[in-house]
Amino acid sequence: MKPLHEIRFTLNGEPREFLVSPDDKLLEVLRREGLTGAKHGCGTGSCGACTVILDGRAVYACLLYAFQAEGRSVETIEGIGGFDHPHPIQKALVEGGAVQCGFCTPGMVLSAKALLAGNPHPSDEELKVHMDGNLCRCTGYEKIEAALRRVIAAGGAR
Amino acid sequence: MKLEAFLIPEDVPSAKSALKRLGEKGFAMAGGTSLHFLAVSGKTAVDLSRLDLSGIRRKGGVFHVGATTTLDELMRDQGPGWVLDQVARHTSTQQIRNVSTLGGNLVRVFPWNDFPVALLALDATLCIEGVREKAYPADVYFDGQPFRLFEAGHLLTRVEVPALKRHQGFAYHKEVRLNAGFSLMTAAARVAVKAGRIAEVRLAAGAAISLPARLPRVEAALEGRPAGDARIEEAVATGASGLAWKGKEGMSDAYAAHLGRVVLADVLAAALRQAEGA
Amino acid sequence: MNPGDLKVVNKSAVKIDALSLALGRPSYVADLKPADALWVKMLWSPHAHARIVSIDTRAAERMPGVKAVLHHGNVPRVAHCTAGQGYPEPSPYDTFMFDTKVRYVGDRVAAVAAETREQAEAAVKAIRVEYELLKPVFSADEALAEGAPVIHDEPDLSIPIPVPYEPGRNLVAHLDMEVGSLARGLAEADFRFDRTFETHYASHTPLETYVSLAQIDARGRIVITTSTQVPFHCRRIVAQCLQIPVQRIRVVKPRIGGGFGCKQEMLLEDVVALLALRTGRPVFWELTREEHFRTGRTRHPIRIRLRMGVKRDGRITAFGMEATSNTGAYGGHGLTVIGCCGSKVLPLYRADNVAFEGKVAYTNLPVCGAYRGFGATQAFFAVESLMDEMAEVLGMDPVAFRKLNHIRSGEGSPVFEALGEGKKGVPMTIGSCALDACIEAGARAIGWERRTPWREKSGRYRRGLGMCCLMQGSSIPEVDMGGASIKMNEDGSFNLLVGATDLGTGSDTVLAQIAAEAIGTTLDKMIVHSSDTDMTPFDVGAYASSTTYLSGEAARKAGEKVRRQILEVASGMLDVPVEDLDAAEGVVASRDGRHRLPFSEIALHSLYLKDQRQIMDTASHITHKSPPPFAAHFAEVEVDTWTGAVKVLDYVAAVDCGTAINPALAEGQTEGGVLNGISYALTEEYLFNPKGRMTNANLTDYHIMSMRDKPPIRVILVPSYEATGPYGAKSVSEICINGGMPAIANAIANATGARLRATPFTPEKVWRAIQETSKIR
Repeated sequence: MKPLHEIRFTLNGEPREFLVSPDDKLLEVLRREGLTGAKHGCGTGSCGACTVILDGRAVYACLLYAFQAEGRSVETIEGIGGFDHPHPIQKALVEGGAVQCGFCTPGMVLSAKALLAGNPHPSDEELKVHMDGNLCRCTGYEKIEAALRRVIAAGGAR
Repeated sequence: MKLEAFLIPEDVPSAKSALKRLGEKGFAMAGGTSLHFLAVSGKTAVDLSRLDLSGIRRKGGVFHVGATTTLDELMRDQGPGWVLDQVARHTSTQQIRNVSTLGGNLVRVFPWNDFPVALLALDATLCIEGVREKAYPADVYFDGQPFRLFEAGHLLTRVEVPALKRHQGFAYHKEVRLNAGFSLMTAAARVAVKAGRIAEVRLAAGAAISLPARLPRVEAALEGRPAGDARIEEAVATGASGLAWKGKEGMSDAYAAHLGRVVLADVLAAALRQAEGA
Repeated sequence: MNPGDLKVVNKSAVKIDALSLALGRPSYVADLKPADALWVKMLWSPHAHARIVSIDTRAAERMPGVKAVLHHGNVPRVAHCTAGQGYPEPSPYDTFMFDTKVRYVGDRVAAVAAETREQAEAAVKAIRVEYELLKPVFSADEALAEGAPVIHDEPDLSIPIPVPYEPGRNLVAHLDMEVGSLARGLAEADFRFDRTFETHYASHTPLETYVSLAQIDARGRIVITTSTQVPFHCRRIVAQCLQIPVQRIRVVKPRIGGGFGCKQEMLLEDVVALLALRTGRPVFWELTREEHFRTGRTRHPIRIRLRMGVKRDGRITAFGMEATSNTGAYGGHGLTVIGCCGSKVLPLYRADNVAFEGKVAYTNLPVCGAYRGFGATQAFFAVESLMDEMAEVLGMDPVAFRKLNHIRSGEGSPVFEALGEGKKGVPMTIGSCALDACIEAGARAIGWERRTPWREKSGRYRRGLGMCCLMQGSSIPEVDMGGASIKMNEDGSFNLLVGATDLGTGSDTVLAQIAAEAIGTTLDKMIVHSSDTDMTPFDVGAYASSTTYLSGEAARKAGEKVRRQILEVASGMLDVPVEDLDAAEGVVASRDGRHRLPFSEIALHSLYLKDQRQIMDTASHITHKSPPPFAAHFAEVEVDTWTGAVKVLDYVAAVDCGTAINPALAEGQTEGGVLNGISYALTEEYLFNPKGRMTNANLTDYHIMSMRDKPPIRVILVPSYEATGPYGAKSVSEICINGGMPAIANAIANATGARLRATPFTPEKVWRAIQETSKIR
């Protein structure tokens, strides 16, 4: 049993402390805390179902060790929107018929949010490049891309 | 990889002394995204990502790229003569590019790595800091596994990449099944044209051969030729013959050789066109 | 009912669970795992074919945190099949929870349940197994050849239905039929063709791998929360394997992360259930992605030989198909998939002389199962490729050639009756077919008039246009059943209880739309609970493109019954005859306009005030035909003739699914299926080493497309009206995956003249085919 270390990072705006083992991945720590929106799809940083935002950048929580979040700021899907006030990206995906099984959806929301925070008007090519780490097997991406394009056109994503 | 412990040093000197102290048990970690390829355990990770080793500064005709600069940063336009965006854009996926660093891709080189191929073509210099800094030309650095050049406590601190000059052209191509896949064949070429003749060619290949390397026989066949009659395919056919091409993903070695020749010719032609266009 | 009168159906309503999924609410099996759940790890066979001589789990059992270890010596030995099919299954009972033999790299050997994942992994490593290696076979031909090693030699094999099954020859199934005489049809033809096509293994690659959780509830029953497409079949098979009554088991499907057929199987649930029984603890098992590739179900690689004959005027005189499939180490779905190569494909084109022969072989390779398209995908690649070749020989446009020959509304085919699912098939006359309209719409959208002959093309990069026609089916008639129950609440809302299984397809929403339409209320009043064997009526589950056509009709009938009860109560409240009342949008009104009662008042009255009763009813449905959806797919490609790389520039799918209950969902299904079909054609494949081990079992080396890789895909829904389906609906979810291979193969041929007969179309294959073609140019 490896000694546990205390690490601190900001989670969805709140300073938090966690006891972790050196090789705990960030995904495990989040899910253990009940934040199950980030998911196990592959465990090898290929599918994007575990995407979270670290210091403003979309990252794979399954690849990063928890300690790599020390002193940083982590944003998960649980910190974005709510039933009464969905985020414009969530609203667009939902209303656009872009959610099928939903397993990839939180990851898509987070990658898109991170992109638009830094670049509110990406070109078609830039959008695709920045979403290339989020796989979906249900939708063929058509309605996801269309929904994100609508959000960009409306200029309303923060 | 199973970690024993982790350290987050405050500055470069303490990072180096921690690595020196840990020796074999230490593991310098910048982005940490290639770790699942390494079947080692019991190491202590030393997190370099918060040190002041990232950033791109232009000094004269050379870009100084900090070793912990992320691929996402490299993807951005850094000004005239910057070409590594072409490489970074085609490496892996955005979530990886946001964390993976140039240095992290250069200490342990796998056959499919993209950057060594480009850096060889660009005549880059790689700087390792121990007690003192030592600068290695890419030709030396990549002449074997780079970690042979590191002692415990040494860090790759920066890569110096010459900016592309007006009479030069650069082209990079990575042949993949899908954008996020490993390369089947990578090639990069930098060509200089002076007074209508090919003055210099630096051509490197990777993925379909065992380790990224330059192809001096192809270079020699082209250097001195008129830019308008370069006979690239001939140069590639003769100069690249005898290379040990390796097919990936069920491809035959014969096809890999054919694909290799096509890609080499493509990058040479594109680099030459750019050099001539100046 | 006039399509124009529809209030809820044929509207792109927002999926009822979409927001909760976009918010990341805990919804999937892994999100529901209790903190004290034990973790399962399985020891998988490293060998393709071996006998287990001895297995020693004593060291593993003593390791820290280990609570139980299962292997062939300590579990019930019950022959069964894992395929989620109706009872009795048209698949051999050739599987045991743990056997004394392993039959592919990835077969089960032993399972450990421990307090943590790490402890379970460590214990698995401590299990000592002695194997006697046996000679493996890796192709159907090898397996069926004289003297091949016998993969299934266990004495307690059985088959539930009398179908041809010869395990001693590694033959899992054999089907044949002939109508007219193929020989005569070929003799009559002006042109004869004999072509063979090969298709390959694929992984469904749902974003959520197989995952299952079993718990013992307060009354000692086993509750299995699992990622499944077939909760009721799962319950039955677990009861069979554990030798306990069905009554003791409850299976619940929460939200799941996709299936596409791989979860039409009982694959994890027997193990978690038995471990939960033995330990008394909740037990959780989630396959890693690598395990999912190696040990999960796959698509059948099938060789299709076509012999066809055609007259100079374009009429097909002979249509003969021989299909040989490799079903891997176990036979579930083997017979039904090969049957669909014929039954879902041959009827598309009229011919007086039709023959089909299907053979299924065991091999020591990963197990094939149900995969969207289900044999039709493989067979359409062959047929639609040959149709183009024949058109070229005839000098006819490929579109015109197909229009001349395809089945039309009002016509039947002898194939429907001849090929069933292990039993006799069901005769059918086509009641709805808008294929011509699909062809016309698709051709217009892609710009088919730009198509030029391949011989006129030159240069390194060449573009081509290709198309294909498709059909599928909707449900398995006379065999499968679905039920729906609806009860009313005092505020005018309704609980809709359906066994039908939503994999992300949106069936909860579609069935709620149908029920709301039938009741006379609005979608927002429907509360759906599905796929719970304790709470919902029976349903076979999500397969065979059944959910709209079969389960939807049960929902509609139940809705009609509940509407009738609402009108009766209202009639009593208003003292107006039922015949003078109507229900729409949650209000009962008299036809003369003088009376109006909102549903909430009626419900409150019925629950609390007078002649109290629970307004509630149930309906079941079985279908009596399997009406095909029809589609025409068009692809434009650019081929780099120097490297063989193929890029899809544009793709149009025009589909007739009858009435689209929810057009946005129908489009979404089609877009997803089309992209899957495209990557199956171009980039997905299983690579094996000489010992039968998959070498690319991860998402970087097994290529599925990202948003950056995908071509533009346009879907055109072309309505028709199927009178036997709810509000005119058929199905849409499988047909869309069938178009990628043939449309792209035909486009590559139009670009370069090169005809690909083996999939996937890797750059090397394409390049070599182009080399061959340029030799004969």
